[in-house]
Amino acid sequence: MIAAIPLKQQKVGTVLGVLAVVLVMVMLVALSIGQVTIPVKDIVMIMLYKAGLTAQEPDAVFETVLWSIRLPRIIMTVLIGAALAISGAAMQGLFRNPLVEPGLIGVSSGAALSVVALVVFGSALIGNAAFGMSVLMPVVAFAGGFAATMLVMKIGQQVGKTNIAVLILGGVAINALAGALMGLVIFYADENQLRMFTFWTLGDLGGATWQKVLITAPVLVLSSVWMLSYQFPLNAIAIGEAEAFHMGVDVERVKKSIVFFSALAVGVSVSLAGIIGFIGLVVPHLVRVIFRADNRLVLPASLLGGPILLLLSDLVARTLVAPSELPIGVVTALIGAPFFIFLLIGANHKNEFNTR
Amino acid sequence: MIEAKHIRLSINGKSLLNDVNLSVQPGTFTAIAGPNGAGKSSLLKILSHELTHYKGEVRINDVIASSYSVAQLSAVRAVLPQHSHVQFPFTVKQIVEMGRQHFKSTSKNNDALLEEVMELTGVADWANRNYLTLSGGEQQRVQLARVLAQVWDQKTFPRYVLLDEPTSSLDIAQQQLIFSLVKKACERNIGVLAVVHDLNQAVQFADHLYFMRDGAVVAQGESKEVFTKTNIEETFCCRVNVYHDPCTNCPYIVPERTTLSNLKIASV
Repeated sequence: MIAAIPLKQQKVGTVLGVLAVVLVMVMLVALSIGQVTIPVKDIVMIMLYKAGLTAQEPDAVFETVLWSIRLPRIIMTVLIGAALAISGAAMQGLFRNPLVEPGLIGVSSGAALSVVALVVFGSALIGNAAFGMSVLMPVVAFAGGFAATMLVMKIGQQVGKTNIAVLILGGVAINALAGALMGLVIFYADENQLRMFTFWTLGDLGGATWQKVLITAPVLVLSSVWMLSYQFPLNAIAIGEAEAFHMGVDVERVKKSIVFFSALAVGVSVSLAGIIGFIGLVVPHLVRVIFRADNRLVLPASLLGGPILLLLSDLVARTLVAPSELPIGVVTALIGAPFFIFLLIGANHKNEFNTR
Repeated sequence: MIEAKHIRLSINGKSLLNDVNLSVQPGTFTAIAGPNGAGKSSLLKILSHELTHYKGEVRINDVIASSYSVAQLSAVRAVLPQHSHVQFPFTVKQIVEMGRQHFKSTSKNNDALLEEVMELTGVADWANRNYLTLSGGEQQRVQLARVLAQVWDQKTFPRYVLLDEPTSSLDIAQQQLIFSLVKKACERNIGVLAVVHDLNQAVQFADHLYFMRDGAVVAQGESKEVFTKTNIEETFCCRVNVYHDPCTNCPYIVPERTTLSNLKIASV
């Protein structure tokens, strides 16, 4: 049984502070551990050297591993973890439903469909040039995810207002359709393409480069921080859409912004690292079960908790079967699913969810 | 003053409101009574600007309602719907606080005000309790606290509270408490409009009473004056007798015992 801790407003700062410290510590551990173990002392040295604060040259191997491989990967993991978790938190609040995750509005399946189509049919158009593929794939994934979300949004529009129930059903329909089309396309795939696609749908944080990080960071940071500003509107919507309107919230605008920005954040994440499940569902849940439902805490705490969980999962993924790597999606689901089941059984349902 | 003129509303070709005129004065309690399906809730939704596809005109403090922004509206009127379904485990205080969210920065005595409203509604003791563990009646009081918190602050302009059956899930002691609270709100230059099912309570507390039936106002006026046998029987199609409380001289009704055959006649 997990007892929810009643939280005073002053304590929100403490909780967020602790989470921030934990995040920094997990980042240091993730930077340190791998096929080459880099002592924390050397990590600090390399950082100082890169910042021009010390002239003492660090170990060359350590520097290369840290600077070219591990740091971009860690930064990308943090950004993606944050984007997925806050998108999940915001959408659960918006849809007034704790079971919602970003995949529900079609982002992930739309992206997956467009990628599988590119992998199978694209080679006929641009040849098998690996470079062309690696540039095209994120762009196509993002475009496909975004298009699917816009379609779901359109289905959910009724007489100028967004009907959440229809929107969710539309998401289910689009996901089913995308799944079926994917099956159809895979029918034409050869062995090699199948393998590539399988890895992509299970997520892969290994492809991080500074170039990718620098291009996508502004989008991920902007959309995540933007969603952070919806703490009050989401609290009000949790009581009811009409009630939120009575309290001065422009509900229609909030809906459109949150769906847009979470599609943006998740679409970009999917294009970088494939489909990583469970972060968007579990992290906000975890925060809510431990600290109650106030979005003034749930949103920022998810923003910090998502990266922590994804960093730890990634650490497991790349150390467990080293020198090989497990797909990250497998690890998040392996850790996430049993943990989630434990939460569901452990938490007192009547307390945590409105079952009416 | 909230003033509604010639309000007509039809949904899917069915007329729900037909030329309704109504006004709510600041500092007074106006009650609407009428049988189920008379259009009371629809009228409330129009006054709160939740429904916008009506014909006619609604003015709030002499300004056309549609010219208010959503945020401006929230400063002049608060609404208590019939039912609120909260999906997440908020604490009682968090819910009440939400009513004040928009004005926090402009009000220095925010905490004192929250405290006062929570004391008045009797929810202060549960401040840190999980809302979802409260009973239906207790939840209703928390929602009322949230609604009152939104407009409790003294302002230069009158504010309004619209309540849709505020006492539907409460026992009689709680019902009396809610209506006494409503009267207290009136003292703060707040105009209250409530849909009320219990006619005896309506006449006991309301300054002004509207009887509605089939989307139209059947009778309206100073509550003790319109509270007549004819008006009530015409509105509800139910035989009643009106008596007077010997202590306060306040009128009250006792419905006549109906047999099933009488009911049939009444509903025709």
